[in-house]
Amino acid sequence: MSESNKEQPQKRTLAEWVTFAIACLILFTLTGLVLYNWVTKKEEPPIISVTRNTPIRETQGQFYIPFTVTNTGGETAESVQIIAELRVNGEVLESGDQQIDFLSSGETQEGAFIFSRNPSQGELIVRSSSYKLP
Amino acid sequence: MNKSKRRKNQWSNELHDIIRGASGGFLFGIPLLYTMEVWWIGSSAKPAQMSIAIVTTFLVVLLLTRTEGFRKTKDIRWRNAAMDTVEAIAIGIVCAAFVLFLLREITLETPLQETLGKIVFEGLPFSLGVALASGFLSGDRYESSDSDSEPMINPTVADIGATLIGAMIIAFNIAPTDEIPMLAAAISPPWQLAIIAASLLISYGIVFAADFTYQAKRQQQQGIFQSPLSETVMAYLVSLAASAFMLFFFHKLSFDDPWSVWLGYTLVLGLPATIGGAAGRLAV
Repeated sequence: MSESNKEQPQKRTLAEWVTFAIACLILFTLTGLVLYNWVTKKEEPPIISVTRNTPIRETQGQFYIPFTVTNTGGETAESVQIIAELRVNGEVLESGDQQIDFLSSGETQEGAFIFSRNPSQGELIVRSSSYKLP
Repeated sequence: MNKSKRRKNQWSNELHDIIRGASGGFLFGIPLLYTMEVWWIGSSAKPAQMSIAIVTTFLVVLLLTRTEGFRKTKDIRWRNAAMDTVEAIAIGIVCAAFVLFLLREITLETPLQETLGKIVFEGLPFSLGVALASGFLSGDRYESSDSDSEPMINPTVADIGATLIGAMIIAFNIAPTDEIPMLAAAISPPWQLAIIAASLLISYGIVFAADFTYQAKRQQQQGIFQSPLSETVMAYLVSLAASAFMLFFFHKLSFDDPWSVWLGYTLVLGLPATIGGAAGRLAV
């Protein structure tokens, strides 16, 4: 290795040029994506939507209520709070809450609430109650 | 013949340079890869902040490359340093993206901005490690401090000891943190297999590709630990045992836990432990 260095002390070899070309490609792709993201970024606050698509399942006397939370806004939301309430005749019989650490723009997270009463006997509300900006 | 030999040499030299750089990146960057705060910074980073981070790191890596770098060449004029810097950042980005993908911190469903943020903020510390690689990986492992005296202990015992020390140094910082259960929870069996493969590959890369100067000497040594493949496998097993012990030491694992939890946690911590162990065998 040191001998070949003495022979051609300055010149870059073909292999080094190939590496450099690939490295440039990677770096340009990365910066390109960052810039693309910058240009197309929506300048709007987070919009959190909670949906329940999966059916409720009952196992060992417990009712599992799956939910999906999506941020369709532009910015990342931190500490997204999801709450679920089961109301029968206007009275809250059972409630649960769940926190999502980070929900960036376009991201979807899933989870489930576990109730001991059958949610179909009353009115079930699953919604997000708060978030903070990072 | 001479020409074709030199051409072959140039490619293998380049490959060694890249692997040396990547090894340095892993040593410096792996503790940050196991830090959830850095993932969060990446998750919430804005494109403007990412751009600033890339530019800042470019300047720092450029200065480091001028003095250290990941190549063996001593030619460090500004133009070459700038080209090496681009390569160092590319190596860092690729390695960090690979490990983030392996640890399921990035999946195909992750939004573009979050993916970019995580790769940028994990990859740039990696690049610093790449830029420092020749500083701590170019030495001949059997000619470190006591080069003229014959080794007093069996080389197999010496290698096991060095692996243990290196694994402890890197993984002891990671073992008590919450990242291990968090990561282990998200990693399914196929990905555990991938982690095993990656651990072995990186370990092999660090020890046997970072520097080939000792190969002649290495082949003269006898013992179960001394062929490259068996040494890599043995060192991985030693690192896994050390990981399991460290997790047990910090009450992250107890005998009441099912074996699948032991396996999952140990494999996740095994990756940094193996990298540390490989570095240990180079340094000690």
